[in-house]
Amino acid sequence: MNAPQTALLLIGSPKPKESSSESLGTYLFEELETRGVRTQTVKLVKALHSDEATEELRAAVAGSDLIVLSFPLYVDSLPAPAMLALERISAWRADAAAETGEALAAGEGPVTGHRPAFVAICQSGFPEVEQSEIAVEICRNFAATAGFEWAGGLILAAGGMVSGQPLRKIKGMMRSAARALDLTADALAAGKPVPEKAVALMAKPGFPRVAYRFMANWGWRSQLKKEAGGTPLDARPFA
Amino acid sequence: MNTDLPGGALLLDGRRDDEPTLALAHDALVDGVTAGGWAVDDWRLRDDRIAWCTGCFKCWTTTPGVCAHHDDGREVAVRWVRSDLAVLLTPVTFGGYSSELKKALDHAIPSLLPTMLRRGGETHHPQRYDRRRDLLVVGTVPAGEADGPEARTFRRLVERNTLNMEPPRWACGVLEEGAGEWEVRVAVDALLAKVGVTAAQERVDFAREGAVA
Repeated sequence: MNAPQTALLLIGSPKPKESSSESLGTYLFEELETRGVRTQTVKLVKALHSDEATEELRAAVAGSDLIVLSFPLYVDSLPAPAMLALERISAWRADAAAETGEALAAGEGPVTGHRPAFVAICQSGFPEVEQSEIAVEICRNFAATAGFEWAGGLILAAGGMVSGQPLRKIKGMMRSAARALDLTADALAAGKPVPEKAVALMAKPGFPRVAYRFMANWGWRSQLKKEAGGTPLDARPFA
Repeated sequence: MNTDLPGGALLLDGRRDDEPTLALAHDALVDGVTAGGWAVDDWRLRDDRIAWCTGCFKCWTTTPGVCAHHDDGREVAVRWVRSDLAVLLTPVTFGGYSSELKKALDHAIPSLLPTMLRRGGETHHPQRYDRRRDLLVVGTVPAGEADGPEARTFRRLVERNTLNMEPPRWACGVLEEGAGEWEVRVAVDALLAKVGVTAAQERVDFAREGAVA
């Protein structure tokens, strides 16, 4: 992996605002900027909304040395728009490789063309990182299939703690995550993969699981009380 | 399935195109489930406009159990919770589900409660409904890749889904593209038998006896 000159952040969250995936990715990319990497950010939901925006995504992917996909866990894997983006990018890469006659997948021989690095950041509301491991594995498989160099994955559990806030604003509470992203920025800017120490720091629980579950349950009940107009939390409208 | 009687199957067809093995698997699934006396709700997802789940969680906090957005996505939870067997059909996509299947599956979240509990050493959301459905997942990979990395990830994904969906019975099969009709039908019938579609079991027995003879 070479030191990247350009990096592309793909926001895989379908949330229009207050996305924790965006909070994590933005923090990392601000750190990459300070290390001299030119960065660009694309929200996948917007990029897939029109042909014109999709073409812009295609050009952005083709012009980047490093791509980071930051996404929330949806049903044990990536949200649908993130999967669609990976399908599209893989097809573009295959088309480009076919034009030049080069091998694309890592297992099919040396890759001679442009081979950007690919990194995944997954965050979920569950307090266990194990729940997100398969989603990151899917990203790793994608990188192999589409001819990217896999440069590692980070998993943040208990992502409810971020709640879409800028990471710098809650850095005290998210100290380990911020440190993990600092180390990741150091490594990626130098052309190295995500360090093991960063993976471990990001996975470090910021809160005891029992307390997290208690707080989350309290939060959901309070929100429901305000918004549901008396409908019980366990309503069964289709029973 | 909650009883031994045949019930309703929801087939979420996540094909992106007309790849022949997936087409054979689709037909074998519909035939096998129907032969078992079940009603099949055969939903070809690529024909429908299902907006992406935005993760607003209003289906947990504002309209509990119902997606707050008015499109075909709202239908997913209805058809999901009223089924006795959920069948997912997809090309294995980097070890996951196709974006077509995923756009529907992401909308199954209203069938869960927002609260968290500890189960099997992990945190999970409780089911909103008592009614459970068996789960059958069929994916296809390129020829020679049935034991490759994507197929392995896929099997692990389905297993993890079962921890959150809690199906009474489940089965997962990975077929290779290029498989013939007979091969696909035998494989699909064997998978259906694992989730209690009994006519399929009889056909598997028949096929086995035929092979021995």
